Amino acid sequence: MEVRPEALLERLRRRLSVVDPELAAALRLDVHGAAEAMPRITCTTSVPPEIAVIAATHRALMPLSAAARETGWRVVPVTLEGAQIATVAATLANPRLSAVLAGAGDPPGADERPLMAELAMQIGAAADRRPDLTMVLTGSLAEPGGRYEAALPQDRVGATIVGPSPGAADGGPLRRLLDSIRSGDDDGRRALAVATATLADVLRRPVEVVEVGQSSGMRAVADHAPGVRSEVEAAIVADAALLPRGFTDGHLDAIAGWLPVPLDRLRIRDRLRELALAPWGDATGEGAALRLAAARAALQRLGAATHRLDGRPPGVTVAVGGVWSVVPAPVTALALADALRRPGIRALGVDHARLLAPLGTIADPDERRQVMTDLRDELVAPLGSVVMPAGLRPGRSAGRLVLHRATSDTSVDLVPGGIERIELAPGERAIAELELRDALDLGFRTRRAAAEIAGGVAGLLVDLRDVPLRLPERPERRRDVLIAWEQVVWPAAAP
Amino acid sequence: MTQVADWLAEVPERPIADRDLAVRFVMLPGDRPLVDAGDHVQPGDALFERLRDRRIEEVVISSPPGVATGSATRSATGPGTGAAAGTRGDATGGGEAGPATGRRWTPVVTSRIHRHVSGGEGELLAPIPGRRDRWRMITGERRDPVEAPIAGMVASVVPGTEIVVRTEGLAVRGALAAGVPAHGRLELATDPFGELRPGGIDVGRAGSVLVVGARIDAEALTRARAMGVRGIVVASLSGKDLRDFRASERRQRASLHAAPPFAVIALDGAVRRRIPSPVATLLARLAGRDVGLVMDPPGLVFDPAGIELPEIDPAWVRIRSGPGAGAEGRVMGPAGMHRFGSGVQLEAMLVALDSEPPHPVPIGDLERLAWPQATR
Repeated sequence: MEVRPEALLERLRRRLSVVDPELAAALRLDVHGAAEAMPRITCTTSVPPEIAVIAATHRALMPLSAAARETGWRVVPVTLEGAQIATVAATLANPRLSAVLAGAGDPPGADERPLMAELAMQIGAAADRRPDLTMVLTGSLAEPGGRYEAALPQDRVGATIVGPSPGAADGGPLRRLLDSIRSGDDDGRRALAVATATLADVLRRPVEVVEVGQSSGMRAVADHAPGVRSEVEAAIVADAALLPRGFTDGHLDAIAGWLPVPLDRLRIRDRLRELALAPWGDATGEGAALRLAAARAALQRLGAATHRLDGRPPGVTVAVGGVWSVVPAPVTALALADALRRPGIRALGVDHARLLAPLGTIADPDERRQVMTDLRDELVAPLGSVVMPAGLRPGRSAGRLVLHRATSDTSVDLVPGGIERIELAPGERAIAELELRDALDLGFRTRRAAAEIAGGVAGLLVDLRDVPLRLPERPERRRDVLIAWEQVVWPAAAP
Repeated sequence: MTQVADWLAEVPERPIADRDLAVRFVMLPGDRPLVDAGDHVQPGDALFERLRDRRIEEVVISSPPGVATGSATRSATGPGTGAAAGTRGDATGGGEAGPATGRRWTPVVTSRIHRHVSGGEGELLAPIPGRRDRWRMITGERRDPVEAPIAGMVASVVPGTEIVVRTEGLAVRGALAAGVPAHGRLELATDPFGELRPGGIDVGRAGSVLVVGARIDAEALTRARAMGVRGIVVASLSGKDLRDFRASERRQRASLHAAPPFAVIALDGAVRRRIPSPVATLLARLAGRDVGLVMDPPGLVFDPAGIELPEIDPAWVRIRSGPGAGAEGRVMGPAGMHRFGSGVQLEAMLVALDSEPPHPVPIGDLERLAWPQATR
């Protein structure tokens, strides 16, 4: 099913003509079809391709699999240790494979050496059977012009790439290589990573972007230092898609654990299958709750798969992806706080117009920065801020938070276990001052802290729940807790 | 384009049928292709032989010094056997080329050490490390032919991997599929809203593809298979029934004797809803004609010759998902942003269902079926 972009552009043009006829006329968008002639920047996200990662032993396979999993591939792991040759051959003959990543220790370990010749034979056979496969050799297989490369047919359609070792520079070069061969130049997630760095420059703050998409999830972290262009570290995780391929009972349990409405497992499974087939449908009522539960579970998988990117707390966390477009914005803030349990104080935003990735395709960094600076106030919709201390002791007050606004002060007793919402409108700023009984973790251990807080549709969320979050085991009790938390930001969702 | 067509175009369009669908038939190493790229196939033609008792043997490819009986001969160069593996679309026979992965081979003696004589041919996998004259070969005795359920042209053959066939007819795409590709005479077993119970299937339906309306359960599916039905077309199939049927199908295919092909195509998904009216009309017009059911991608393939394709009102829409899924009506115009259940605000269209006054429905829940330009 599809909707032509021209139809949506024409809708926008019509609305602009009605809302601001003078601006529409100035932009020559006051006539039917005028929007179609406007220049466009475009990017696309695609279904993650499959890569077979093959090594002699499980030990050698692990770092290779990790690199492929963080670069947007669906990984099919293959080890020769104790494997049936027919199974290995069938796996490598899978028509859905796009590439093979083969590697061994450099030098090969004692456990690998007896299997090295077999490994060479298997990758040679895979290249022989599927000349279109991209073959990436790493570690001790990656000797340029060496016997392993020579074992592959020379006149193949697919490329043979001698790649860096997974241990080199913490795996960064191998990840960059795997990302570069995953998709074309207009890849939306690669563009999103570029835009994250530019956004950090524009906002002059460290930025973290978390994306939950239909095909994959992505996390990008860009630090900021004055006078220096921001660098970005990103990870694209196929298993962090809203509903990943190869959906298991484990995925289902994780989603069911976030559902505030009682649905039996069979119905949940069927409705999730429908959600995978029609991701824009069934977005109201129970459908909204189900979508948000799936989004929270996806965010948790994304966080678990990208611990490498955990570091200094970001100044701003931005939610990206279609799933956030169809839920009330304050709930997005709560979902981020629910699933990303990292202590600290940070602002929350959402890429509501889904502009970040397309802007990341602007090749000239200065032009990109200028465009994003012009759009600064509209690019990321402010959701609010969250204060999330860790290490609270249950059963007694942890201290006080005083929010100093221009007109008034608000004081909140920090009672562990709950979440408080303080109204702070979008665009409004305030100083949050924390006085704690004991030193708590706010990204750093402290008893006193003050930070400037940005307002948003969800205001300030004072999140005093466990880090990491612990939910009751019993389904009824868990649902009650989830409903109570959700009521803080989403009273309309009351069952 | 008129103003009316502008807002209609905002409703997601689903093609009712596709032309030139590329259908994939997945093979495993050891399966023997029986067609070559460029061949035309008709329903019932054998595409490949699936190996049921896969095993690996070592074969001596050439006669090393001192091994008098270790010679090997090329297999008869049948279709799809002569090309080096992986040569998509250009498998050719003949020639005295050497061993290569995916090539068919008929050994005289399989192992000098074990002296195991085998007349069965198989597919070469890879040389044995350190012994270039010895290869692993995947072979077996029992093979089931896999027939083409559709007419089309073989686009590519990759031994041990896949055969891709481009269909000649039109294909109504499905959302889910289970079983194996099959073909048969289309019969309407219920109306588009209906549900087929196990008791409603008898042996008189043998050889047919049944259109069973809104849903069917796993018991009815297994009974249909047992009665010789070749396929089921249904609007929706719940995850439980799909899982139960797939488990039953695995057991069936693992049995000693080859089972006739049986396919299930769910047109929409897992939640119960009726078959869309234009599709139901089309299926009614196809009743009594031979159709093919394919798995990858899921679809029902038919020959449109002599069939009057149903007209579809451009304003006809269907609620694809959400509350009221399956209901059909006419879209009356855009409703703008509208507040729905749980306070969710979404772009909506005004839709008139049956005789009710128009009410707003989220655009994301709607679909309109249309014939692609190239189809008509």
